[in-house]
Amino acid sequence: MTNDEKFIVAPPQDPATWLTPAELALVADLDLNSNRDDVLARLKGDLQGAIEVELATIPIYLYSYYSVKRTEKTGENIRPCDLYANKAGGMIMSVAIEEMLHMTLSCNILYSLGVQPQLYKKAPGPYPTGLPYHKKTGPVGPDGSDKVLIPLSKLSYEQLWHFLQIEYPETADAWPEDRNWQTIGQFYSYIRCLVCTKFITDDDFTAGSKNTQVQSDNYSPNCVNSIYPDDRFDPWAMPPPNGSSGQSAAAVAQYPNSPDSHAGLVELLTVDTKSLALLAMDTICDQGEGYARPWGAAEPTDDPSKSEFSHYFKFLRLQAQMEEYGLNPSHQEGLPANPKAPDAISPAVSQTELDEVIVNFPDNPITACYPPDLQPISDFCNGVFQYMLIMTETVYKLPPEEQKLFFNIGMHRSMIWVLDPLIDMMRDIEITEGPYAGPSTAPVFMAPTFENINLGTRKTAFSALVGLGKAAVAASADKSYASSVTGLVATATTAKSDGQSMHLPDVSPYW
Amino acid sequence: MSDSGIGDPTPKPYPYEDAPDFPTEIGVQPEGMPLHACMGLNSCQGADRFGIAGHPVDGMPNQQNDCAGQGYCSTTASHSCHVQNNCANQGGCGLYGTGEEMNQPGQNACRSLGSCATPINAERFSTNGPNKGKSVWLRARAVFEDNWPTLQKELAQKQTDGKVNSGQPLPSTPGSVPSLFEGKGPAYLWVSDDNEQRGHMAACGSSGLSGAGGCS
Repeated sequence: MTNDEKFIVAPPQDPATWLTPAELALVADLDLNSNRDDVLARLKGDLQGAIEVELATIPIYLYSYYSVKRTEKTGENIRPCDLYANKAGGMIMSVAIEEMLHMTLSCNILYSLGVQPQLYKKAPGPYPTGLPYHKKTGPVGPDGSDKVLIPLSKLSYEQLWHFLQIEYPETADAWPEDRNWQTIGQFYSYIRCLVCTKFITDDDFTAGSKNTQVQSDNYSPNCVNSIYPDDRFDPWAMPPPNGSSGQSAAAVAQYPNSPDSHAGLVELLTVDTKSLALLAMDTICDQGEGYARPWGAAEPTDDPSKSEFSHYFKFLRLQAQMEEYGLNPSHQEGLPANPKAPDAISPAVSQTELDEVIVNFPDNPITACYPPDLQPISDFCNGVFQYMLIMTETVYKLPPEEQKLFFNIGMHRSMIWVLDPLIDMMRDIEITEGPYAGPSTAPVFMAPTFENINLGTRKTAFSALVGLGKAAVAASADKSYASSVTGLVATATTAKSDGQSMHLPDVSPYW
Repeated sequence: MSDSGIGDPTPKPYPYEDAPDFPTEIGVQPEGMPLHACMGLNSCQGADRFGIAGHPVDGMPNQQNDCAGQGYCSTTASHSCHVQNNCANQGGCGLYGTGEEMNQPGQNACRSLGSCATPINAERFSTNGPNKGKSVWLRARAVFEDNWPTLQKELAQKQTDGKVNSGQPLPSTPGSVPSLFEGKGPAYLWVSDDNEQRGHMAACGSSGLSGAGGCS
């Protein structure tokens, strides 16, 4: 039976990945030469490391995401460069959404082992940064360097190469590695082996209740930010089933994430057995690098319906539409043989066109190097970022019946109602002094720095965020963006409606 | 074709010339009746954005809508995003949230559990779940019609208990929405007053596909 025939005769469900010969050999070695205490301690340590790897990808991807102006022109007025920008934004956001899923899955596994996941102040930095336990050299990139150091940088051909470095596919015969790994797949492969030793039992995964892990109904594969149009559309046309004659937005909408791109019954699994922990890791590896073995990374897709590209292939396809792709033989990247790299995608987008839809962000900015009057805004932005991580940690401390509401008013509100419009506002502010200032012909604009700003203890973090908000408002008082800053700070820290809180939740009661 | 901005060109002639202008303020509502998320989801006579004062009609006194399902647009405080709703059954839908939530627009359990902006502009489509790619408003109307028998009984009981005006008509099936919006819901062209007042409502999202003025 061919792989395709399997999809025809069986419901499309991602199979659990079998151990490879290399993994079986490692499990046998661990069984023979290790002991329960060492294996359990390493499993817990590696899962915290995995959480930090996943967390590290999020600011890196979001930084480039926010450099993209997705809707400079839209509807019937979309130009090819706008279509590319909107697609790039949707693709990167679709990956960032799945990275948040991966971080949460690793958190759920670790929590099930009785360990509170640590996120606060665990983002990487300074940039350019290595990833936790990542091998420091890798395949040569378009700049000729083999260094695996990932910058915060606007969307570009070179930055997409760094994204590929993160998502580089694991080969089917790769040796599991939790130190000096070359692919994230190898890192999870090692963790899978630890789980599969004789020392680890189902009971180990019941130390942290499944009910207080992040529940599946807090995840959805797509949203209005991950979708994008693939053609011009009539903004006034109605969607199906009673669509009107024009080509509606619904008709051209593309959904880069597929609802079946996961192992197990749901995307966001809660864990109380070895097999559920293994399924959760399958989802992580498949979405990042490609569909589960035995076909392995030879597949550019990661789901049974073959409708969602892996992270690696999504980024490679974005590169393939840039004019630079394949243009200069001396400007080539070290790509794996599988999955086969796509042919150049037309219409190719030139650098001149990209300049119209990419904000000129500085590389690897830090708050201390922004002009003094902008530093409080950057601090507030970092405060919101770190507070989001604290809120994520807090989810594991909530009574289960409170989780959904907390997730809505905490995670959704902070991301969509504070961070997103705050960065949207910041990227309109030109940096006119200091090391990031650009010439008048190529102005540089303010960007998020995603630093590990200190909010004090988790118990006092909300108060610290309130303080950062007040400082941002004060620093913006005489600026054109004063009302925006005031409104966003209020949304984060003080807003009320009908006497009830409409701001981010104060987590102090839980710590 | 103009390329001066989002939403241009607009359809000509303006197709909602015969409809009353979109009311930016929400009128006084019938006492004791539930608020709702959009056009055609009202539970009783006089419950819509114009309220008991009724909507203007050329050369005639204002008219209230006659009954459930006939109202002009939302009576919940307008909000532009997931979790920003004040109360039960006041969330719009389609932009953020799970497929399950997106399949039940206007049916959220309580404050901050709603999915997305109200009013539900007719161009909006769901991004997840069984209704993916399809009209959110049509789904909301279908869910409202399915749930109406239960809601009608609850309201009838409230009438019996004296908690709701006994003169409120509670038909066995909801009435039709105003004819210009039949089968599609409140078009953003109408909400925005022929694309002149894009601030009348906002719907989140950076893809430009929400069909309404964006908030980010």
